[in-house]
Amino acid sequence: MKIGFYPRLAADGIRKNKRMFTPFILTCTGMVMMFYIIMYLAASHVLNSLIGGATLRQMFALGSWVIAVFATIFLFYTNSFLIRRRKKEFGLYNILGMGKRNIARILFWETLIIAVVSIALGLVAGIALSKFAELGMVNIMRGEVTYDLSISGLAVVRSLQVFGVIFLLLLLNSIRQVQFASAVSLLRSENAGEKPPKGNWLFGVLGLLLLAAAYYLAATIENPIAALLVFFAAVIMVIVGTYLVMISGSVLFCRLLQKKKNYYYKPNHFVSVSSMVYRMKRNGAGLASICVLATMVLVIMASTACLYFGEEDAINSRYPRDINMEFRFDKLSDFSDEHTQTLKDGVLKELENRGVSPKNAYCYRSASLYGFVKGNTVEVDAANISEMDAINSEYLFYFVPLADYNAMMGTNETLGNGQALLYSYRTDFDSELISFRGGESFKIKKKIDAFTGSGDTAMDMLSSLMLVVPDLESSLKQIDSVANYNGDRLLQMKWICNLDTGMEPEEQIALYQDLTDTFTDFSVKERLGYTGVYTSSQAFERDDFYGLFGSLFYLGIILSLVFLMAAVLIIYYKQISEGYEDQARFAIMQKVGMTKREIRKSINSQLLTVFFFPLVLAAIHMLFVFPIVRKLLLMFNLSNVYLFAATTGISLFVFAVFYTIVYRLTSGAYYKIVSGAREDG
Amino acid sequence: MSILEVKGLGKVYSSRFGGNKVEALKNVNFSVEAGEYVAIMGESGSGKTTLLNILAALDKPTAGTVILDGKNLKEVKESLVATFRRDNLGFVFQDFNLLDTFTLEDNIYLPLVLAGKSYKEMRECLIPIAGKLGISELLKKYPYEVSGGQKQRAAVVRAMITNPKLILADEPTGALDSRSTDELLRLFAEVNRMGQTILMVTHSVKAASVSSRVLFIKDGEVFHQIYRGGDTDEQLYQKINDTLTLLATGGMKK
Repeated sequence: MKIGFYPRLAADGIRKNKRMFTPFILTCTGMVMMFYIIMYLAASHVLNSLIGGATLRQMFALGSWVIAVFATIFLFYTNSFLIRRRKKEFGLYNILGMGKRNIARILFWETLIIAVVSIALGLVAGIALSKFAELGMVNIMRGEVTYDLSISGLAVVRSLQVFGVIFLLLLLNSIRQVQFASAVSLLRSENAGEKPPKGNWLFGVLGLLLLAAAYYLAATIENPIAALLVFFAAVIMVIVGTYLVMISGSVLFCRLLQKKKNYYYKPNHFVSVSSMVYRMKRNGAGLASICVLATMVLVIMASTACLYFGEEDAINSRYPRDINMEFRFDKLSDFSDEHTQTLKDGVLKELENRGVSPKNAYCYRSASLYGFVKGNTVEVDAANISEMDAINSEYLFYFVPLADYNAMMGTNETLGNGQALLYSYRTDFDSELISFRGGESFKIKKKIDAFTGSGDTAMDMLSSLMLVVPDLESSLKQIDSVANYNGDRLLQMKWICNLDTGMEPEEQIALYQDLTDTFTDFSVKERLGYTGVYTSSQAFERDDFYGLFGSLFYLGIILSLVFLMAAVLIIYYKQISEGYEDQARFAIMQKVGMTKREIRKSINSQLLTVFFFPLVLAAIHMLFVFPIVRKLLLMFNLSNVYLFAATTGISLFVFAVFYTIVYRLTSGAYYKIVSGAREDG
Repeated sequence: MSILEVKGLGKVYSSRFGGNKVEALKNVNFSVEAGEYVAIMGESGSGKTTLLNILAALDKPTAGTVILDGKNLKEVKESLVATFRRDNLGFVFQDFNLLDTFTLEDNIYLPLVLAGKSYKEMRECLIPIAGKLGISELLKKYPYEVSGGQKQRAAVVRAMITNPKLILADEPTGALDSRSTDELLRLFAEVNRMGQTILMVTHSVKAASVSSRVLFIKDGEVFHQIYRGGDTDEQLYQKINDTLTLLATGGMKK
C-alpha cells in the first residue's frame, strides 16, 4: 500500500515521540477550547438578556481575535521545541535517502493528524464546558433566561478556520526549517545552543515602543465603548510587545547574569543560568505567554469580582434612593416651577396616605444635551464634528436652575445674568467661559465640587458638566431652539425627584407600583405637560442587579478558569519539554559529581530567577488597564475605585499563589525526569 | 604507596527474575601505585566498562572491595558518593560528555563550581593547565563549535582541574581521528609525567603502548599484565600486539 506509507510513518513518529507530542496536543486542545468558548459567547444569545449584553458580545468577538493572535504566537513557541527534537530524526531520514520533498510529506501528515486530533478534542471540550457554563448561568439568573443549549455553528466554523490557518503556518515553518538545512546540520541541531536573535536590541526597543504606545492609548481613551476597536488594537499591541520585550529582555538578563562572575559561578546558579542562556528565546516566549494569560485572568477576575462585590454600590448609584422618579418634558414653557411643585405635592400625598414622611429627598429640574468641547466653545451638532474628535471630546451637559440647586444643597448662591456655576463630574474641565454654538454663553462664576444628583448620570459613561444657571426658561431660550441635522430637539428636560421612605421592601415595591400607576395616567400627564415618566424602586431592581452581576461574575470565573488552564498547560509543557532536553545533561553532571540535592537546588534557583518576571510585567499591564476597566465598570454604575483596586490586588495574589503551586508541582515532574535518567540518553 | 587497590572484585548481572546470570567480572585483583599510568585492555564484552563503572562508584560490585587512597568505596555513604567522586576522581569519556550549554571554560569549571570555589581560584587553576594543554584560545567557544580532539582536550583539563587522586579514562581516543589520537596520547603522557595517576580503559594498542603498565582482561578476569620496564613505545606496542594475538587465538593460561 503505497498511499498509506506517509500517514503511517507520520503516525508512527507521533507514537514514538509520545512524551513530546502529548503535551503539545494538549496545549493545542486547550487553545482551541479557549477560542471556541470566547467565540461561542460572542455568537450565542445567552448574553442578550443581560444589560450591556450587546457590548459584551462585541467585546467577546474582538476578544476572540486576541485569542487567535495569542494562540498563533504561543503555538509557534511550543512547536519550536518539537521541531528541535524532530530535526535529528529527519536528518537521519535524509541521510537514509529520503528527499526533502518526502520529509515535507511526512510533516504534512503529522501536522494533519495533530490538527485533527487537537481541534476535535478542543471543540468537544469547549462545547462541554460552554454547556456547563450556560447551565450555571441559567441557575444564577434563576431560570429567567431563555436559553438554548445548542452548539454554536459559527463558533465551530470560526475555530476550524482560525486553527486551520495556524496549523498551516506551523507546517510551512517546519518545512522551511527542514528545507534550508543540510542533513548533517539537521543531525546536530539538537546540540547547538540558541544564538541571540540578530538585532536583539531592535526587537527590545520595538517591544518597548509597542508597549508604550499601547499604554498611551490605554491611558488616553476616554470612552472605551466608543473606542472599542482602538482598545483591542492596544490589547494586541500589548501582547506582541510583551513577547518582544520578554524575549529580548531575558536574553539581556541572562547575559548580564552570566557576566556577573560572583553570581554565575555559584553551584546554585551555574547550571540554571547556563541552561537559561542556552534556550533564552524560548524561555522568554514562555514567560511572555504566562504574563499575557496572567493579565487576562487578572482583568477578568478583578473586574467581575468588583462588580459582584460592588453590587450594592452600583444599585445605590444607579438608584440613589428607595424611590426614584424622572418626569420628561418636551416644552421649555411646560417645564415650570409651578408644574413640578404640583408633581411634588402629588408624590408627597401618596406618602402621606401611607403615613410615612420622605427622607433624604431631593428634587430638581435638569435640562441636558450632548456637546463636543473645542476650547471653550461647545459644538452641539454631531454632524459638524469628525468621528475621531468625537471620541474624546464628548460631554454630557446639564443645566439646573439656581433655585432648585440652592434648595437641594441648602446653599445661598446668587448669579447674575449670563453667569453660571460649574460642576464637573469624572473630568476636570477648566474654562472661564463656555459658549454653545448657536446658543448662549456662560461665564463661570465659581466651580463647585459636590452635587447630590451627580449619581443620576452614573448610567452614562460620559463625563458630565453641570451648569447651574439663574433660570432655565430665560437662560436657555436660544439653545432650546437649536435642532440637530435630523431636526430633533437637542435639549432633554426632566424633573428628577428621589426619596427614601424607610419602609419594608415589599411596601416600597407597592408604593412604587402605585406611584407608577398614578403618574402614567394620561389625564395627569396632559394637565401637567410632561410626556413621560420613569419610576424605579431600589427594592424592585435589586433582584435584577443580583442576577446580572451574579452571572457576569460567573462568566468571569469560567473565563479565568479557561485561561488558568492554558497557563497550567504552558508551565507543564515548558517543564516537561525542557526536562527531556536536559536529561542527558544532568546525567553528565551527575557523572562529574553533581549530587541530587544540587540538582534540586539548581532547579529552585532557576525557578526563583525568572519566576517573578511574568507577574511583575502583568502587574504593570494591570496598572495601565486599570483606568480603562474602571471606565467600563462605570457602564454598570460602579464607581468604587477602592473596591476595584482591592479585587485587583486580591486577584493578583490568588494568581501568584496558584502560579507558585503549579510551578512547584511541575518542577517536581521536571526533577523526576532529569534526575531519574541514567546515562542511556 | 598504592592509590588504588582492587581485591577479589566480582560482578554478576542477573535478569529481573534471577533467571539468567551473567558474570561480568570474577575475582579481579590489581593495584595502582601513585604516579602510575595503567592501561586496561580487552575486547568488547570483556568487562572493561563494568570495571570502570565500579571504580568510579557509578556501579556496585557483587563481591570484593575497591580501596581508593585508603578509603573503601563500600563505606562511602550513598548521599556522599557524588561528592566523593568529584573530589577524588577525574573522568575522561569516549564521547567527551561536555555540556552544550556551557562554553569549554565553564565546562572545565563545573566540578570546581560544584565544590564551591570562587571564580578567582578557578581562574588561577585553569590558566596554567589550559596553557599547557593548548586550549587557551578555545575557552570561550561552545563544544559544538570545536573539533573532537579539542573537545577531548577540554575534557582532560576538566578531569585534572580538581587535582584528583586518579583520572579514569574510558576509551578516550575512541572517537578521535589518528592525528588527534596522537596528540591526546602525548598529552596523557605529559600529564602523567607531571605526577598524575591515570587509569585508562581502551582497546587501542596504540593508546595502551604509551602507558607504564598494561593489564589484559578476558572474560571478566585479569589475564595477563605487561610492565614497560625500559621499553620504548614501539617495543611495548609489539609486546601488546603479541599478547593480543595470543588472547585472540585462545592461548593457554600461563
